[in-house]
Amino acid sequence: MSGTTLYQKRRHTGARRGVEPLYYLFLVPTLLVFTAFVVVPALIGIFYSLTDYVRFGDWSFLGLSNYAALFSDPRILESYGFTLGFAVVTVVVAQVIALALAVALSRRIRFATTLRTVFVIPMVVSGIVVAYVFNFLFSNSLPAIATAVGFGPLEESILGNPDLAWLSIVIVSAWQTIPGALLVYTAGLTSIPTDLYEASALDGASPWRQFRSITVPLVAGFILINTILGVKGYLGVYDVIVGLTGGGPGTATSSVAMTIFGGFTGGDYAYQMANATVFLVVTALISVAQIVATRGRAVQL
Amino acid sequence: MTTDIAPRAAAQRPPARPQARRRTGGRVHRTNWPLTVLLGLATLTVFVPLYVTLSMAFKSSAQSADGNAFSLPAPFNPAGFAEAWELTRFPVSFAISLAVAALAVTLTLLLSSLAAYAIARNWSHRFFRWSMIYLLVALFLPFPVVALPQIQLTALTSLDNPVGVGILHAMFQLSFSVLLYTAYLRSIPIELEESARIDGASTWQIFWRIILPLLGPMNATVGIFAFLASWNDFMMPSLIMSDPTLQTLPVVQNIFQSQFGTSYNVAFASYLMAMAPTIIAYLFAQRWVISGVTQGAVKH
Amino acid sequence: MEFDHGRCSVSPGSSRSVSVSRRSFLAGSAALVALGVTGCASASQASGGGVALRFYEQKQEVIAYFDELLRRFEKSRPGITVVHDSTVAIAPQFVRNEPADVGCFNDNLELARYIKRGVLGDLSDLPSARTVRTDIGELTDQYATYPGRTSVLPYSLAAAGVIYNKKIFAKHQLPVPETWSQFVDVCDELTKAGITPVYATDRDTWTLWQGLFDYSVGSLVAPGEFFHRMKELGADVGPDSEVSFEKDFAVPMERAKTISSYFNKDHAVRAYADGNLAFGKGEAAMYLQGPWALSQIALVDPGLEIGTFPLPVSENPDERQARVNIDLGLWIPTASRRQDEARELVEFLMQPEIINAYNNDNLAYSTLTDAPAQEDERLAGLQDYVDRAAFYQGAGTFVPTSIPLGNYLQSAIRSGNFEGMLRQLDADWRRLAGRGATV
Repeated sequence: MSGTTLYQKRRHTGARRGVEPLYYLFLVPTLLVFTAFVVVPALIGIFYSLTDYVRFGDWSFLGLSNYAALFSDPRILESYGFTLGFAVVTVVVAQVIALALAVALSRRIRFATTLRTVFVIPMVVSGIVVAYVFNFLFSNSLPAIATAVGFGPLEESILGNPDLAWLSIVIVSAWQTIPGALLVYTAGLTSIPTDLYEASALDGASPWRQFRSITVPLVAGFILINTILGVKGYLGVYDVIVGLTGGGPGTATSSVAMTIFGGFTGGDYAYQMANATVFLVVTALISVAQIVATRGRAVQL
Repeated sequence: MTTDIAPRAAAQRPPARPQARRRTGGRVHRTNWPLTVLLGLATLTVFVPLYVTLSMAFKSSAQSADGNAFSLPAPFNPAGFAEAWELTRFPVSFAISLAVAALAVTLTLLLSSLAAYAIARNWSHRFFRWSMIYLLVALFLPFPVVALPQIQLTALTSLDNPVGVGILHAMFQLSFSVLLYTAYLRSIPIELEESARIDGASTWQIFWRIILPLLGPMNATVGIFAFLASWNDFMMPSLIMSDPTLQTLPVVQNIFQSQFGTSYNVAFASYLMAMAPTIIAYLFAQRWVISGVTQGAVKH
Repeated sequence: MEFDHGRCSVSPGSSRSVSVSRRSFLAGSAALVALGVTGCASASQASGGGVALRFYEQKQEVIAYFDELLRRFEKSRPGITVVHDSTVAIAPQFVRNEPADVGCFNDNLELARYIKRGVLGDLSDLPSARTVRTDIGELTDQYATYPGRTSVLPYSLAAAGVIYNKKIFAKHQLPVPETWSQFVDVCDELTKAGITPVYATDRDTWTLWQGLFDYSVGSLVAPGEFFHRMKELGADVGPDSEVSFEKDFAVPMERAKTISSYFNKDHAVRAYADGNLAFGKGEAAMYLQGPWALSQIALVDPGLEIGTFPLPVSENPDERQARVNIDLGLWIPTASRRQDEARELVEFLMQPEIINAYNNDNLAYSTLTDAPAQEDERLAGLQDYVDRAAFYQGAGTFVPTSIPLGNYLQSAIRSGNFEGMLRQLDADWRRLAGRGATV
């Protein structure tokens, strides 16, 4: 059996091997549809950023003047600063909690299925409900508890505090996105064979050691995916902010997506398309940087 | 890697049996109570908001507006549901939302798994590697960039209806899904397919008979994400669909949000009714994720 | 042969392929249903040999009201069916170049965009166009005009002022203030008596510029001319220019600052809904809101005695004016393919019985020259100003949405630095003009 396996491996990894045509049939239709519905509109949208198009009627070509204006606009720069900081904090918080939950749920505990279902519920609740409920919690419940306990700083709702309002966004964003990451980690954890844990346990490894040396390397690929997607998602934070603070107090929690959508639904369409294009580049660069920085860490079995 | 019957057989047997416990030393088969309790407490973060939602839906108009979210409904008033049902034309809007989501999920599952398989198995060839990067680029596209041209495109091709929205939803899920599938496929050893090939199976058969079943947990995961993204989506249907009588549930709910005014009970009843399918969808798909846990032990 | 492989091929992809095929069946049939419904919808439009009009009206509180009106129109004109389109965003329709046949929409900067670009047709030849008050018709011109066209027929004029709790005023023997100092005195009296003079809801920033900002500017600055000049100056706006926010709004913002000192303590975290609730419960004496809030307040306490008065911002009682806006205006896009039927619908809606009844029932003022008075007692305080055309359109409505006026007001109220806010507005205006922003 081993002899046959070796022979198969050698045969498969030969790079000169031609590609079976069927594989093209698997891939090309997807590429075509994707190009037509996503890439072409993206290119058109980016083109609009070079004009003064107002979404209908006549327009004129403006070249890069929208971009030049972008870089000297303090509000735009401020929104990028806030958004980036927010994304970094939230992705750390959310991924740590999600991974911890996934690992905990894969242990021998009671009610695992029920618990797992419960923790997925936040993903299922619609944004409007989340906004209303957390609005209430932050504006009424938290201050009430703080007053009862005598914890000064929280006695006024953090939603009205320009220095603390961002915390509320972090909490709600994490709450909403942990289930998604949890699902991915759960599916990923299933690919780790249990005999690895058993063997290491027999060798005397502690649960933490197991986590560090077995779990993390083998789900590293999924950690990377979740982090990249998480950062990308948090960079685009919009619904939560609109529901909780409206970008306020003042402009303390105005994210890039908010300014972009503002231009999309209001005036200034082409200018915000330039903003959106810059945003696209920034997001892509950050994600590429993440991939490059962690290259080679993902372990294959 | 040689096949080893014993551990696999042990893993396949349900863990509660006494023989298994004694066999593997007993450590991993005791219930970890501290952890269970800890997790139980963590569920409060989910139950508190859920409780508020539920109790609001059953309050009377007056009580729902009194600003006290934690009070129990008194009197218990399910009339909000009936009103929400009528205002949002629930059966129609629900059916349309469901159709759109179903289309989005199916397209996503099919296109992504096929593409990911082709990419994963031909990684050594440039075309496939570049295709992966090409597909990933869309991951970073902010919606506003493509929104307007998509409106124009769907209007031109007569896709400014639920079908078009379903297709677009699938398009936005492609990048993420292909990413997930490819990562998962890389952990499936090539030996399975090679031995099938020796038996004379074609690539087509290998995909449908071997790979797709093995992708179970990923199918469920990808499916759930696609379903949720489509079901809760408000922006795209409101922009793309030209016929107002064919709108999806989130859009219809939004129209009546202000009409609810301070009738939060009707609003929350409406949101609850919209949340039900997503919970059901998850419960349905969860079985596949669970069975993936036991299957994962089988691979080696 | 691997154990796994055999196992997998034996279970004929059972649950997996079944789930896939079940899913695809579900999707296939669902897609068919969707296609079928779509087909039916468009078929029914063409069926009956009649014309199908699309009427765009998305003001949520009156959707049902207009539904009824549309049904009456259909009865009076067999052969025409009207679909009531209440989608939230109007822009996509113009993007698709398939706008509704008749639009009934708030006249503001957004509509100005469409007017300026000439996509709305001329309605001046309609008989009903002559029955509209010219001074109200001129209000639409303040936002935008298209040469030689009457692009919008004003349908409903909303007037707003300070809503006050009559019982509280009576209890403390407070008069309805006619000058600025009287207003300040009233506020001081209320504070001494331990009552919140003005209830504010900072969280919903629109309530700040619609109430505090607009009312403070009030009669002190004529917004039409001011913004016209500002647009001409463009990037030259500054502390030394002929007009600027910093200069012309200095006094109004001092007023605003004073008013904000009388706000409820928790104004920073209160939202519009909280405001309606609190005022309805009698927790404050005054509320800077428009008639749209009256129905919400009535939900809390239908018996609450309320009145409205225009905020006096000078010492001269004759200078008082009411804040108005054209809450609904009718228009017909040039792209509509059913111009004749659309005009019939507009004529129907503009009939005095209909337009007067709508405005009476919905706490607004009819735009016709011989319009009857608004019967609702709560708005009685503004009737005179509407009749005399002693009104202004809110300055906040002239500020492009890319300048977050509401958010700036939030900061200014908190910090007390209104001058800084005005300088910020000038800077933003310069930047917008500098890049020829299309707003």
